[in-house]
Amino acid sequence: MNERSLKFSIMITTVALAAMLAGVWLAHIYREHDSRVVLLPDQVITLFPDPKPLTAFALTDHKNRVFDLASLKGKWSFLFFGFTHCPDICPTTLAVLASARDSIAKNTVGAEDIQFIFISVDPNRDTASKLGQYVDYFGTGFLGVTGDNEQIANLAGQVGAAYQVAITPGMENYPVYHTVAVFLLDPRARYHAVFTPPHDAKAISKRFKVVRELEAGNAT
Amino acid sequence: MRWRHPVFVCLILALTLVPAASEEAGVSVRDARVRETPPGMTMMAGYMELRNNTSRPRVLAAASSSGFESVMVHRTVVKDGMAGMVHASQIELAPNASLIFAPGGYHLMLMNPKRTLRAGDPVVINLEFRGGLVLPVTFEVRK
Repeated sequence: MNERSLKFSIMITTVALAAMLAGVWLAHIYREHDSRVVLLPDQVITLFPDPKPLTAFALTDHKNRVFDLASLKGKWSFLFFGFTHCPDICPTTLAVLASARDSIAKNTVGAEDIQFIFISVDPNRDTASKLGQYVDYFGTGFLGVTGDNEQIANLAGQVGAAYQVAITPGMENYPVYHTVAVFLLDPRARYHAVFTPPHDAKAISKRFKVVRELEAGNAT
Repeated sequence: MRWRHPVFVCLILALTLVPAASEEAGVSVRDARVRETPPGMTMMAGYMELRNNTSRPRVLAAASSSGFESVMVHRTVVKDGMAGMVHASQIELAPNASLIFAPGGYHLMLMNPKRTLRAGDPVVINLEFRGGLVLPVTFEVRK
C-alpha cells in the first residue's frame, strides 16, 4: 500500500469512527429527552419485570419508632446502606438523593409519596440520636434506620445489599464496606428496581418519573 | 454489581497548559474544599485539584492540619460491589499533570474537627510532599 492510499484509508476509518460515535451520542441524547424512554437496558436503573414482595423484618428509625414492612406500604422507598462515620460515599449519595427529591417534588405528582431510608449497617456506633442528626441535615423525607445485626442482614439480604463491618478491638475507626447501589421499593413493599452508581440526581428523578408512570398504568 | 470506569479519579494530562504563578513551589491547588457534614459528625472529607507544574514527578506523602485530630490521604475503592476506603500513603503526580480529589475517589479524610465547621469557614491543611515541600492550602467548607 502506498503512502497516499494508506492516508486515505486512515481518513475513511476516522470518518467512520466519528460517525459511529455521533450515532451513539445522538441515541443517548434521544433517550434522555424522550419521555417514553426505554428503561431496559439502562446504565442508571435496573427495573425488575416481576418485583419481589419483601418479607417481615423489624428495625428501628431515628425517632425510636418501629420500622418494618408496614413502614414501606403506600410509599416509594429509596434505600441506601451506609454508616455515619463514612466521609465520602455516604454524604455524597445522600446529597444526590436530596437533590433528586427536590427535582421529583417539582413534578406534578410531587414527592409526598416518597421516602429515603438510610440504613446504618454500623449500629455499634450509630445510635438513634446520631442517625437523627445525620438524616435531618438532608431535609424532609429522610429516615435513619438501624437495628440488631440479624435484622439488618435480613433486610439487606432481601435486596442483595452487600456489606461488611470489620470491627477490630481497640480500633476506633474500624472499616465498614457497603454497596453503593440505591434500592427502590414500591408502595406495595416490593423490591422494584435498583439504581447503580455513579448516581446522578437528574437521571434518578427522570427514571423514577417513568417508573411511577409505568406502575400507575399497571395498577389501572 | 458492576462499577464502571472510576471516572471520578482521573489523571488529566495537560501538557499544553502553562505553569501558573506557584511555579517556584512546582505544585498548585485549585478548588480546595471540605464538605460540610451534618452536625455532630466526626468524619469529614476534603477535595481539590492538585497540579504538578514541573517536569518531574512529585509525590504526595502525607497531609496534616491543626484543625483536625488527624488527616489521612484516602481513596474510595469499590470491590466486590462494596465501597471501602484505602489509605493512599504515596501518590505520585506525573509531570505537568493534574490529579483530581473528588467524591468517590481520592479524598483527604479529616478526623475529629477541633471546632464545628460550617459552610463558608476556612481551614488550612498542609500537603506534605516527598523531598520536604510542605504546601499550606486553605480549604473552604462547602455544602
